[in-house]
Amino acid sequence: MKLKIWIAALLLTISAAAPAAKTDLDYARLRASLSDLAADPVLGKLAPAERSLAEQAVQAVAEKGGSGDEHAHLVYLAERRVDIAYATAQAIDQERRLDKLDREHDQILLAASRHDAEQARLEAEKQRIQSLAQAEEAERLRAEADAARAQGEMSAQDAANARKQAEQTKRLADAQAKEAALSRKEAQLLAEAAAADARSRSPAAAAAPTAAASRQMVLNDSAFAAGAATLRPEARSNVAAIVAFVNRDKSKPIRIEGHTDNSGKANADLVLSQRRAEAVRDALVAAGVDARRITTFGMGQAQPVASNTTEDGRARNRRVDVILGDR
Amino acid sequence: MTLLPAKIHRPVAVFCLLLLAACGPTKPPPMGIEDATRQLQAARDAGGSTYAPLEVRNAEERLSLAKAAAGKRDYEDALHFAQESQVNSELALAKSRLGKTREKVEARTRENAQLRQDLSTNPDTGASSQ
Repeated sequence: MKLKIWIAALLLTISAAAPAAKTDLDYARLRASLSDLAADPVLGKLAPAERSLAEQAVQAVAEKGGSGDEHAHLVYLAERRVDIAYATAQAIDQERRLDKLDREHDQILLAASRHDAEQARLEAEKQRIQSLAQAEEAERLRAEADAARAQGEMSAQDAANARKQAEQTKRLADAQAKEAALSRKEAQLLAEAAAADARSRSPAAAAAPTAAASRQMVLNDSAFAAGAATLRPEARSNVAAIVAFVNRDKSKPIRIEGHTDNSGKANADLVLSQRRAEAVRDALVAAGVDARRITTFGMGQAQPVASNTTEDGRARNRRVDVILGDR
Repeated sequence: MTLLPAKIHRPVAVFCLLLLAACGPTKPPPMGIEDATRQLQAARDAGGSTYAPLEVRNAEERLSLAKAAAGKRDYEDALHFAQESQVNSELALAKSRLGKTREKVEARTRENAQLRQDLSTNPDTGASSQ
């Protein structure tokens, strides 16, 4: 009799423990999955909001386990919340990777345009040297012709040299004709060299007739909220002016440099100036400027245009330069 | 502003009748069906049918189950199904965001590799590929 009671009690315990064990299994699985995510060196730092929602859903499984249907419902929700946390963290990770690839892309294009500029410069130099050589040759021929003429005058007194003089005169005429031809060629080459030179240093040379300032526009720091990298809505007209400026020649690359004064930490200023340059880039791209033309630089405190000792000077140093053409 | 009275009064009357019909006998508890519907639409707009078809289908099924349960005044089931539909839609949204970004990363990676190759094999015309 006593034994029967014990067995009955044991059976009851087992049957009561079974669903509890199952609850623990689901909970343990979800909890382990979340811990893995939190411990992930990359994903663990991302999507904190989604992970927090998943935490709450998993906690609800443990706290309100209850009956079968209710439990299954909570597990269903928690499973998906954990999946959402994973997917969101992975998406943010991919977005960061995409940012990095975009920056790489800009750098490749920048290197390519620099390479092109270097090629054009070398070509211009070659043309210049060639034209110098041509000029020297022309000079030499002219000197030769002069000598021949002098010689011819001397031999005018010598009847025996009359025939030779005629020959020299003919040679002079030939040389003079050659000189004229070479002078024409030299002028042509110089013009070509000048054109090639202008191409190679496109911004500087093209802007040379006008002021150097005409290849650069400055957006001062009133366009930004203090310490922030977002453009104020009031800066929209400035942006429109910059868009018009960079669209004057759509073939030219655009260099956007962010600068700060020296009042902050150098590293933070580097980041801030980079973000501000990027904000200007984003505004230009939003206005239809080809993103591939644009390269952004955060210069931080490195290139002040005014003294940092006065407030006016610091205000002038906090700026974003938009430069049309490469530096 | 010269609307005929009938033009205003008729829709108002219809609206009041509908309101009475809806709230008349017993006011059902909030079941989150509207939220789940909105979230499902957002998931579809984000390309969920392409990037997370299973989740979108789950969300659709559970939303119709929620509506059916609400029709039978089984409000607790309706609430559960609506919640399950919504969480599926949210998962579809997250997966769509991930899928789209992955595609962009792959495209950009290929593009950068191609650019580098163009530059190294044909340095003189490198920049013309932009």
